[in-house]
Amino acid sequence: MASLSVSLNRLQLKNPILVASGTFGYAREMEGIVDCARLGGILPKTITAEPREGNAPWRTVEVSAGLLNSIGLDNDGVDAFIAHHLPYLSQVETAIIVSVAGRTEAEYVALSQRIGECQGVAAVELNLSCPNVSGGVDFGTDAEACRRVVAAARAACPVPILAKLTPNVTRITEVAAAAADGGADAVCLINTLLGMAVDWRQQRPLLGNVMGGLSGPAIKPVALRCVHQVRCATDVPIIGIGGIATIDDVMEFLVAGASAVQIGTANYYDPQVSTRLIDQLPGALAELRADSVEQVVGSLQLPR
Amino acid sequence: MSNPLQAAYYADDAQQVDAKITENRLLARETFLVRLVAPEIASRVVPGQFVMIRIHGLDDPLIGRALAVYDVHSGAAGEPEAIDLVYIRKGKLTRYLAGAAVGSVVTVWGPLGNGFAPDPCEHLIMVAGGIGQTPFVAVAKEALGHQRFGQRQTGWAKRVSLVYGARSADLLAGLDDFAAAGVDLQLCTDDGTRGRKALVPTVLEEVLQQSLQNTSAAAIRVLCCGPEIMMEKASEVAAACGVRCEVSMETPMACGIGICFSCVAKVRQSDGDWDYKRTCVEGPVFPAEKLCWE
Repeated sequence: MASLSVSLNRLQLKNPILVASGTFGYAREMEGIVDCARLGGILPKTITAEPREGNAPWRTVEVSAGLLNSIGLDNDGVDAFIAHHLPYLSQVETAIIVSVAGRTEAEYVALSQRIGECQGVAAVELNLSCPNVSGGVDFGTDAEACRRVVAAARAACPVPILAKLTPNVTRITEVAAAAADGGADAVCLINTLLGMAVDWRQQRPLLGNVMGGLSGPAIKPVALRCVHQVRCATDVPIIGIGGIATIDDVMEFLVAGASAVQIGTANYYDPQVSTRLIDQLPGALAELRADSVEQVVGSLQLPR
Repeated sequence: MSNPLQAAYYADDAQQVDAKITENRLLARETFLVRLVAPEIASRVVPGQFVMIRIHGLDDPLIGRALAVYDVHSGAAGEPEAIDLVYIRKGKLTRYLAGAAVGSVVTVWGPLGNGFAPDPCEHLIMVAGGIGQTPFVAVAKEALGHQRFGQRQTGWAKRVSLVYGARSADLLAGLDDFAAAGVDLQLCTDDGTRGRKALVPTVLEEVLQQSLQNTSAAAIRVLCCGPEIMMEKASEVAAACGVRCEVSMETPMACGIGICFSCVAKVRQSDGDWDYKRTCVEGPVFPAEKLCWE
């Protein structure tokens, strides 16, 4: 049996199949339908310092092979997360990686420190790229701001730091290199692509927030491209995200250079997908005659 | 762990299954009934709950659709075996579903959400507009004691009426099923082609006034499912009569199980303020007075 465990600097995972923030609730919702302890890791829905009611409906719209969303980081704030969600999450026997978002560097640092000091948190993911929240600095599009916030969060937080980046930039390699320079244990590529849907008969946008993030199979080629570019440009471990729904998708990301993957939108339309992919992974590794996941990571052969 | 979400409900009974289609037939104009073999769901579902349905393996349409469970069908041994769903052929998924052959397989997960509570009453008045009648065949069968759903009690209403409106007669679907269950039908259409040429809330008001002549307001219940504007007006009519009213919300859902936070509605909180609540896990049935209509 091939070894499924992977290491991303200070973060160890028992297998490379994680579930993405915002697509798995706070895990308790999935208890009846998914054996959560089998997952390589769980990223609960992003938390912020204060409660946020989120954006006005509609919050999601289906498009061709994808989904537009503008939820707006609807959450009850860090206090409620620690009181109500973390006690459940921390007893699930997998890596709990808590996604946080702030409006300022100080907010990211304070959240990372507070969450990182909680029992049962394996790592913190800095959501530097939510496209649906206005105000504050966009840390995902400014390389130097990204480096500073990652460095400050790393200094304050006792557990590994991951940086989730947006594809809505000219050169993602520069932002990823800055995150690595700031001390990110891994970068998570990619968050959603900014998009829009229009009802021409009503002459109005379909999303309450007008624009939203595109996810699902439609964005997989963009995500693979980003993983490949960052793999070529830096040594920082990568967690691939973007339209992953089948074992072929998982293997494509691993070969392109991701050490692990997060399953996102597929959790909505195929709730048991993540554990099925874990079941299928050894067979796919065997096709490449690999004894471990790490053997195939970044094994892409480029044309001469 | 008790209730870490501060939500009263989770989809803990839900099962994800690949279900075979054994029937897929036209009920009314553009309206179909599909029967899916899913004993895991059929044995658990209660009236007012829904399932998510998706075409297996397709990326487009990608996301599941929420459909109310119309009825439960038992197999030869008398055990719940299949669920019936009624849908309008309207978007990508329902067009695909309408063309799906008997014997083909779809992915479904459920049962989801909270059904209508089986609280005893003298007169149950179900109020439907458009395709909103779909949960009410099961409600009527349970309330009048014809069929048990899940482990719930049956026979909890003495009389059941259905106030049901559509644009025209050819869109009224399932009238035979309601009649067979012994439901008093109060129909209306926008064009007068069947029943009264009137709006649903107007007909509800008349039905309520008549019922109140021999039944106390506390012994009457109103359940609504349909367009939000109809439910808002119907709930105003019920409130004016002092009658308890519950509504089933149909907000756009992506997952049905509480993980995407898409399907929110403005729900009044105990402090008088409102908060966005997920209708999939905290509804879809809400007491009408809890909703802030947009």
